[in-house]
Amino acid sequence: MADKPIQGEKRMFVTGNEAVAYAALAANVDIMYGYPITPQNEIMHYFTRLAPKFDKPFLQTEDEISAGFTTVGGVMSGKRSFTATAGPGNTLMQESMSMAEMMRIPTVVVIMQRGGPSTATVIYSQQEVTMTCYGANGEGIRVVYSTCNHQELYDYTIKSFNTAWKYRIPTFVLGDGYQAKMRESLTMYDPEARGIKMVDTYPLVGLPGSPGVDRDPAHLRNTYNTEEELYEVVSNLVKDYEAVAPEIVESESFDCDDAEVVVLAHGVVSRAAVEAVRELRKAGIKAGHFRPITLRPFPDKELKAVANQAKKLLVVESAQGQFAKLVHHSLYGDSTPMEYIFKPGLGITSDEIINKVKAML
Amino acid sequence: MVEAYIGEYASGKSENAVNRALDLLERGRTVTLVDLDIVEPFYTLRPIKKELEAKGLSVIAWETGDTVGLGEAGNLLRGDMLWALRREGDIVLDIGYGVEGSKTLNLLHGAHQDPELRIIAVINISRPMTSSVQDVVDYVRDLGPVHAILNNTHLGEETDEQIIQEGAKVVAEAAKILGLPVEATAADEKFRPTLGETDAMGHPVRYLHRLMPKTFW
Repeated sequence: MADKPIQGEKRMFVTGNEAVAYAALAANVDIMYGYPITPQNEIMHYFTRLAPKFDKPFLQTEDEISAGFTTVGGVMSGKRSFTATAGPGNTLMQESMSMAEMMRIPTVVVIMQRGGPSTATVIYSQQEVTMTCYGANGEGIRVVYSTCNHQELYDYTIKSFNTAWKYRIPTFVLGDGYQAKMRESLTMYDPEARGIKMVDTYPLVGLPGSPGVDRDPAHLRNTYNTEEELYEVVSNLVKDYEAVAPEIVESESFDCDDAEVVVLAHGVVSRAAVEAVRELRKAGIKAGHFRPITLRPFPDKELKAVANQAKKLLVVESAQGQFAKLVHHSLYGDSTPMEYIFKPGLGITSDEIINKVKAML
Repeated sequence: MVEAYIGEYASGKSENAVNRALDLLERGRTVTLVDLDIVEPFYTLRPIKKELEAKGLSVIAWETGDTVGLGEAGNLLRGDMLWALRREGDIVLDIGYGVEGSKTLNLLHGAHQDPELRIIAVINISRPMTSSVQDVVDYVRDLGPVHAILNNTHLGEETDEQIIQEGAKVVAEAAKILGLPVEATAADEKFRPTLGETDAMGHPVRYLHRLMPKTFW
């Protein structure tokens, strides 16, 4: 059996899907569960090619409902477990992930967004924002990292296991079909070599001793008998989530300090925004870019500070306003004028952003 | 001349196949480029088909408009693909990735009888699955019949001469173990002034004009 999937550090040229598979192995994941769907297939392909070398199993389930629930089960047994999916598969996993929210099961799910609604296209979109953040009959007790390049796919896949297990909150890495299939270089590393300690995992069920006698009962429940009982449970979930949110929240801003127009984008689209801001600055136009890395919890405080300084905001996304809804919610009461580029299922180039910003001035 | 480019996922098969076809065309030859990626039919050279045809290349590949309705699993080998080897002139085949991709050749009429068909495995040692001599040897052995190996080592925008030459060495060593010739080293056109006509192992360098980045799906 090989020693470690990545020794030290290594510069590699890969697709985003491969970056995720390697990151999961580097994070010393115990098992992957999954069901094939484009554009995430190579996460599974590469995991199944690599995992046997490191004595790690993979279970292909009969569908995504099962892949989600087996991931929950794997975590309950104390295994660092994950799954990956896209589009309709993400839809089917909402039931199991809402169970994970209710029972505080630290699952990790990697989403490579494809076109929607329904089967739509296998290729690309940012239309799984609402679903990944809030897609179940609950309050969205989740962490969602929206990555913009392969390095981040690698970094945040590793980080997601630690976030999930540290806080016991289901955690999602939100990529997209472009990131999944695109090729670029990144540094793969052994987390330990960078001083990143993987948070210990432990079984949530089957604990030694008798419940109520030797220890408290585990009380993993997703069903409650009365409204009052549920109200108390959900209130506590929300309270706990809000208490740790400031530690989890992440964002980035570029050239926002004196910006007249700030471009708001997330994920792969923020690459176009960064490029647009660079070009606009060269042309003497004061543009900036703000990017939430966590879509859940959302960086409200950081965005408000940027919005207060800007004269105008431009929200850009490959969806019909799903990201804009998060922005509106976050900036409620702020009067900075806002304009939009919504292109569901289509890529957005820096030129489009540049032209729009110029038209806004 | 009949060449098929096979190899690991994202190893540079399409870029090398397209550039080879254009290079032969520039030498005044009649060339047909065949897109035979049935592993991932939606991520192929479809977006640059018209541009290639405008240059005078015959391109056998799906067009976006024709794939409407095929859906996610829509991979269909058309008659002109199956009979591609019967065409006049040079034929360059861009094959889907991995072992399953290389099996596509079994579907082509006359592939096993064609004495001119050369199957070239494209290797980039910056790809994790083919990063060492042993990895390359194991990988190429799994692919089935292969006639030559091509070093296509790069790190995207971060490529430098050193990584290309490192690839040349690893590929040459693997080729020796496999008993196969090295077809060439492929490198971006911008390295022409520094690399010259041959790589560190004495193999010819083929310079690439990057076309696949235009395939913004």
